[in-house]
Amino acid sequence: MSSCLLEEVTFHRCCQMLLQQSEQLRDGWSWEPVQGSQEGYLRKTALKSAVISSNPVWDLQGSISDSGSHTSCHSGPDEQGEEKDQSVLVASVDADATNGAIHDDNDGVCMVSEGSSQVLQYEYHIMYSCSYSTPVLYFRASTLEGRSLSLEEMWNSVHPNFRLRLQNSPFTTITQQNRGVHEACAASSSGPTQATELCTDMA
Amino acid sequence: MADDKDVLRDVWFGRIPTCFTLNQDEVTEREAEPYYLLLPRVSYLTLVTDKVKKHFLKLMKTEDVEEMWFEYEGTPLKWHYPIGVLFDLHASNTVLPWTITVHFKNFPDLDLLHCPSNSVIEAHFMSSIKEADALKHKSQVINDMQKKDHKQLWMGLQNDKFDQFWAINRKLMEYSTEEGGFRYIPFRIYQTMSDRPFIQKQFRPVSPEGNAHTLSDLLKEMYPAAIPNEGEQKRYQVVIHGIEPLLETPLQWLSEHLSHPDNFLHICIIPVPSD
Repeated sequence: MSSCLLEEVTFHRCCQMLLQQSEQLRDGWSWEPVQGSQEGYLRKTALKSAVISSNPVWDLQGSISDSGSHTSCHSGPDEQGEEKDQSVLVASVDADATNGAIHDDNDGVCMVSEGSSQVLQYEYHIMYSCSYSTPVLYFRASTLEGRSLSLEEMWNSVHPNFRLRLQNSPFTTITQQNRGVHEACAASSSGPTQATELCTDMA
Repeated sequence: MADDKDVLRDVWFGRIPTCFTLNQDEVTEREAEPYYLLLPRVSYLTLVTDKVKKHFLKLMKTEDVEEMWFEYEGTPLKWHYPIGVLFDLHASNTVLPWTITVHFKNFPDLDLLHCPSNSVIEAHFMSSIKEADALKHKSQVINDMQKKDHKQLWMGLQNDKFDQFWAINRKLMEYSTEEGGFRYIPFRIYQTMSDRPFIQKQFRPVSPEGNAHTLSDLLKEMYPAAIPNEGEQKRYQVVIHGIEPLLETPLQWLSEHLSHPDNFLHICIIPVPSD
């Protein structure tokens, strides 16, 4: 596990750099200050259409087992899997693993099922964690009616190669929790190590 | 004189007598009797209320039942907070038993996390322990443990096995003598009167001069209103596990002895009741 730590000042500097890039790319990141303090976090929302399927059943080789008649599809070029009708926003923050997973999918592992396409809203927050001295990514996916994806459904949508790697970490990397700042935003967060790797790449 | 280890047992075995009543809008085949239970302070609502669910489900049709959730006087109860924290925060100065309303419909998505299985509770619990050790030991102790040790922490909590839990947890409470304590104290300060759900920041157990920080020192830094100035009337109670520890208590001692199983010191600040 990486022992890379990030000072909060450096985190803020990285955020400003990301925001500059984001403005050029127009990909929607913004800075949200926390009322009554100097803290804040990065935020982005995105609408994506995804083919909703019932439990995709993966085996370790990444193919679909016979019992499953559906498959999940990536809902975007740089995001993992797809989520179902309930919320949980989960994102991969390890760029290498994400690219690897997408590559595997392009090799034909991911088969598109026939299913109804649904628009999901994804919301991402990147906050600094003073416990870990790293950024932590919080995320949630929900239907337009506001229903969130569950943690289990989120795991189902993670590509098996990436899931294996995450689950070999000392703890389940993706956990469900309330955000410390805005508790109403029930979200999932990815492990601090992965988030640090991403921010280091960006810095 | 009580051994410090007795305190660990007293904390673990703390119970809150509770009366569960069904929300009157739920559809039942006959009138629902309330269900009484002694809730462990250190556990989580969804982990210890299987019997409550069974009791009320006997009276209801399957189509009328969705995920169970709990509410006290209109406030949905967050299952991911330890039970004792919920009680101290919302009901500590009320008459026992604690009366909780049970719902099977209209799950408040904006207020509560879903809890479809015990593995969700386990993930949350282990995530808290991991975070606490990041603060105490830069995660070195928790990362050096084997998976079976992690599992034993969870099983100890789930099955209410004090010895099983502490056989592993004692390692998370160790520190080298030259350091004089943990790196930072894992704590959360809760208040009902604020938008912010809790306060959690880095705070060392020992000052740069080598003096032990006390509960008072922590509060002066994080919530000064909790410490009345000389001559001022006390406006707030500072409650941990249902008691008000002396403000001079060393923070390191509190962290080692009054933490919850998740290794966090959960501190509730509640207004002094006006009788």
